[in-house]
Amino acid sequence: MAMASFRREGQRLSSMLYSHSINALKSGVSSQELAPVGARSISTQIVRNRMKSVKNIQKITKAMKMVAASKLRAIQTKAEKSRGLWQPFTALLGDYPSIDVKKNVIVTISSDKGLCGGINSTSVKMSKGFRKLNSGPDKEVKYVVLGEKAKAQLVRDSKKDIEISITELQKNPFNYTQVSVLADDILKNVEYDALRIVFNKFHSVVSFVPTVTTVLSPEVVERESETGGKLGDLDSYEIEGGETKAEVLQNLTEFQFACVLFNACMENACSEQGARMSAMDSSSRNAGEMLDRLTLTYNRTRQASITTELIEIISGASALTG
Amino acid sequence: MASSGGAVPFWRAAGMTYVRYSNICASLVRQCLKEPYRSESLSREKVHFSVSKWVDGKPEKPVIESLIVALVSLD
Repeated sequence: MAMASFRREGQRLSSMLYSHSINALKSGVSSQELAPVGARSISTQIVRNRMKSVKNIQKITKAMKMVAASKLRAIQTKAEKSRGLWQPFTALLGDYPSIDVKKNVIVTISSDKGLCGGINSTSVKMSKGFRKLNSGPDKEVKYVVLGEKAKAQLVRDSKKDIEISITELQKNPFNYTQVSVLADDILKNVEYDALRIVFNKFHSVVSFVPTVTTVLSPEVVERESETGGKLGDLDSYEIEGGETKAEVLQNLTEFQFACVLFNACMENACSEQGARMSAMDSSSRNAGEMLDRLTLTYNRTRQASITTELIEIISGASALTG
Repeated sequence: MASSGGAVPFWRAAGMTYVRYSNICASLVRQCLKEPYRSESLSREKVHFSVSKWVDGKPEKPVIESLIVALVSLD
């Protein structure tokens, strides 16, 4: 090993004296991999490669942040307008997160694409928590999964409970028709007493709260209205159309589910873009810090190797003369 | 329009849900518009997603629902 390093020194000295080019030396050194035994320092070429890739990553994450910010602006106005769709329903029929029914279906909304922070994991955690809460003898819980990310996480341990999974939702920009066709599909294929929709509500660009909305099936609404409470006031409303109460309730609950799902999808989309913005922001900041540290290492290595060259030359020269 | 208690509306008898019924009505209204509002609003009607039912913990083949044309065409 020592002989090899002496040989290398000799090589370097001779090429220094004959060619006067430091770059050739550097490339001679850089043909080794990271610091094998006997070499003197990390080669600067490797550090330079790392710096280049980190800089590219920083550019990409910055661009993703801008894209997410612009998408967020577009969806945010839509989401805020869609809130008006379901607020009358809550005023009329109430929201019962603590209702105790036999057949629960949990609709988990998540995104298809990744790199959006932790929002999908929080949704899945909440759905699992709800499942534990609602499981027991004589009760069954099923999942309807919207989005790839929640599907991937739920498949790992709750495979048997998934009823339907829906993906590729975000190909077209969101509109009510799409969500209502989806709601129709779900209603046709799933038997339920209560539907719980789990999504991330968008409060602001930095805060997304996982929320649950409950939509009851018409039979349960009927049952609840007998016992009184908010639903008991349903009878005091004058219903146009003269149809039976069960008929009206059925229409109402279907429409309620479509509206609530629409709002939930929009809010989740907003939260996804916001989370992606902050995730990409922090990652470009981290890339910047990494770049600073790498630049310091690079300069230190460069200066150290120049100093060693000078020492060798001077000691070689003094050995020749003295 | 009062109907006798117990009679269901025609669309319910045909097996449609209220949501589907209102979507068809909306699509009809959209087709009554004139250009340029017509193409704008028809672009709000595009539907695309892919559903797959799960049986016994295994997904079946996904079915892609893609309705790019209006739900009901008046031609």
